[in-house]
Amino acid sequence: MLRRTWAIAQKEFIQLTRLPLVMIGMTVGVALELVLFAVAVHNNVNHIPMVVADQSRTEASASYLNAFTDSANFDIVALVPDQTAVVRAIDSGQASVGLVIPADFATRVEQKDAHVLIVADGSDSFDAQSAYGSAASISQAYAVSLTNQQLSPLNAHIQILYNPDLVDLWFIVPGFGAFLLFGISLKLTAFAIVREREAGTIEALLVTPIRPIELMLGKMIPNLGVAIFNLILTFAFGILLFGVPFRGNLLLFSVLATIFATGSLGLGLAISSFAQSQVQANQLASLMNIAVMFVSGFMFPVYGLPILLRAFGYTMPMTFFLPIVNGIITKGVGLGDLWGPVLSLTALTVVLFYVGARLFRQNLD
Amino acid sequence: MQLNLQRLAALMQKETIQILRDRRFIFLFLGLTFVQLFVYSYSASRTVYHMPLAVVDQSRDPTSAAFVRALVNSQYFNVKVYLSDESQAKDAIDKSEVKAALVIPPDFAASVDQGSANFLMLLDGSDQFAVQSGYSAVGLVAQDFGLQMSDQNLALGGGMSSTNSSLPITTSSQILYNPDMNDKWFVIPGIIGMILQTLAVEQAAIFLVRDREWGTMEQILATPVRQLELILSKLIPLSVLCLLTFGTSVALGIFWFGVPFHGNLFLYFWLALLFLASCLGLGLVISTRATTQFEAEASAMIFMLFGLLLTGLFYPRTGMPLLPQLIGDIAPLTYFLRISRDIYMKGVGLDFVWGDAVILALYTLIVIFISSKRFKMRLD
Repeated sequence: MLRRTWAIAQKEFIQLTRLPLVMIGMTVGVALELVLFAVAVHNNVNHIPMVVADQSRTEASASYLNAFTDSANFDIVALVPDQTAVVRAIDSGQASVGLVIPADFATRVEQKDAHVLIVADGSDSFDAQSAYGSAASISQAYAVSLTNQQLSPLNAHIQILYNPDLVDLWFIVPGFGAFLLFGISLKLTAFAIVREREAGTIEALLVTPIRPIELMLGKMIPNLGVAIFNLILTFAFGILLFGVPFRGNLLLFSVLATIFATGSLGLGLAISSFAQSQVQANQLASLMNIAVMFVSGFMFPVYGLPILLRAFGYTMPMTFFLPIVNGIITKGVGLGDLWGPVLSLTALTVVLFYVGARLFRQNLD
Repeated sequence: MQLNLQRLAALMQKETIQILRDRRFIFLFLGLTFVQLFVYSYSASRTVYHMPLAVVDQSRDPTSAAFVRALVNSQYFNVKVYLSDESQAKDAIDKSEVKAALVIPPDFAASVDQGSANFLMLLDGSDQFAVQSGYSAVGLVAQDFGLQMSDQNLALGGGMSSTNSSLPITTSSQILYNPDMNDKWFVIPGIIGMILQTLAVEQAAIFLVRDREWGTMEQILATPVRQLELILSKLIPLSVLCLLTFGTSVALGIFWFGVPFHGNLFLYFWLALLFLASCLGLGLVISTRATTQFEAEASAMIFMLFGLLLTGLFYPRTGMPLLPQLIGDIAPLTYFLRISRDIYMKGVGLDFVWGDAVILALYTLIVIFISSKRFKMRLD
């Protein structure tokens, strides 16, 4: 049995190397993808375009405005006369946030009773949240500095563990590596089997003494090899290039990543039995891949998901691998702290593989 | 090149029959499109509510209990466990049992009265969403609580009026178009665009490559059919399908998800048509490069990933480095996204969105020009 499995694996491997472009795309291409998206994707916005209606035009208002420009969070792109013009500038997309300083600002500050208005563009999604939050806090900090006293009797000391400076890349690179690995593993198996079906060669294989399980394993082994190579390349690239600290145990990480890749290959196997052609296989795999971005906690937190989507997330190995990746790379914790997701991931991998194999067999008959 | 309407009609009939015959295609096309709309719309929110919190209350007095209650009342935190010291709290975060831990020192009530209380909040920095929501929530709650306490103290002392205790500058805020910051309101107009782009680019590329791969191109070549007729016969039924999907998505957005539509529906429809044309043109360009449906499909799928990450749909384009921004510019969604959000939420007219509309029109002309140079109705 081993010999036959090995023979299939060899055949698969030769077929893979015959497509050098695909191989390059699936390895180097993926690493480049990581770089491109990792630098592009960020949540905190600096240099938000701001429009100002300074009706006071005094030293007081100028120094108040300085507090905004000094923070580098805002760039003043336009000075306009009044609130209507501020709203208009936001309507036209010229600015995301507006500030209205009334004419009596300076005198009212002395009376400790000045009012300013912050107008934020609520249509500009995540930009707006960021802009509004920092505008309010800058304004407040400035106000506190004017009083020359400690206003609040309560001081919050907030300590952020593992990533104290909130480096965006530290958040993104580990998750992205896992996401790319998932996508590649999913597609590799799906294609390997559908290709055979499309080319009609699956019939030829069936008349040989090769059993379905051997065929399946023989197809999996080279793909797992590619996936692991991919894993090393992507993570090494991301971690070395972006200086993401790897705090945990590399060996533990490799073992768990292999389990994750195996589970993803099993899912690919299941897809292959639904898809009639490579096009359909790719469509299904891509959609699943993208859906995973949403439900696994990669792009958005899982806590807020409706129950159905959460349940869907639990059928994806990514949902359990993500806490493992973050745990090992960013937190530097070991198996003792991660046994929950590790057990779930292993169990899910076994189930996916079993279901994939069953579907694969049914499909051969 | 002359267009024979009779031939075009006959070809379109053939294409329509082919589309309707393929059940699996209809399922993938329509079923999965709406599944996507629901999955994306329901999951796209970054705010974390009710995150598990560990409390280390070394003070154990009414003030510290009131502060913990204030945190829970903010809806951002749920107390999951009470622990006895800071190192246990760190362990709990290590184990991912909790996302945040509050450490209140022994003399909390007394120091609040003296106006110099401290507390420590630990946040799990490996979870970006928990950190972002937790950070701002803690700051706000602490400030409110502190102000309340000092107002109470002042009131008890009876010395000053309560207005003097507040800051010299009060900021009021106004969030335009979406006062409650409802995530769905700004996510859905974008997702509708992304779905339309994915469908149009991918299917246009596949439709046009199909005959070449199936070998039916030979038969078509033997007929008097012209190139333009061939292309139009494929793109027109596809456009109808895309527009039906688009219309249904818009309707679902308004009636199911309750996103208010402030703009002119008629204008929105025309600009969506322009956007559709640019997407179909892009699909056409891809089809001239691809020899198999698989290649066409795989190249089109890349635009889906670009669409998600680089067009401003979920991640801000402000502050994105130049190269990813330029790559994002290749996707027509980048322009339609702004149009869609502006018309949907701001309710502005053509006088505000004309810039992006002109870019989309130019884009369409360019892709049609490129594909007309490259598209060859041949066998090789």
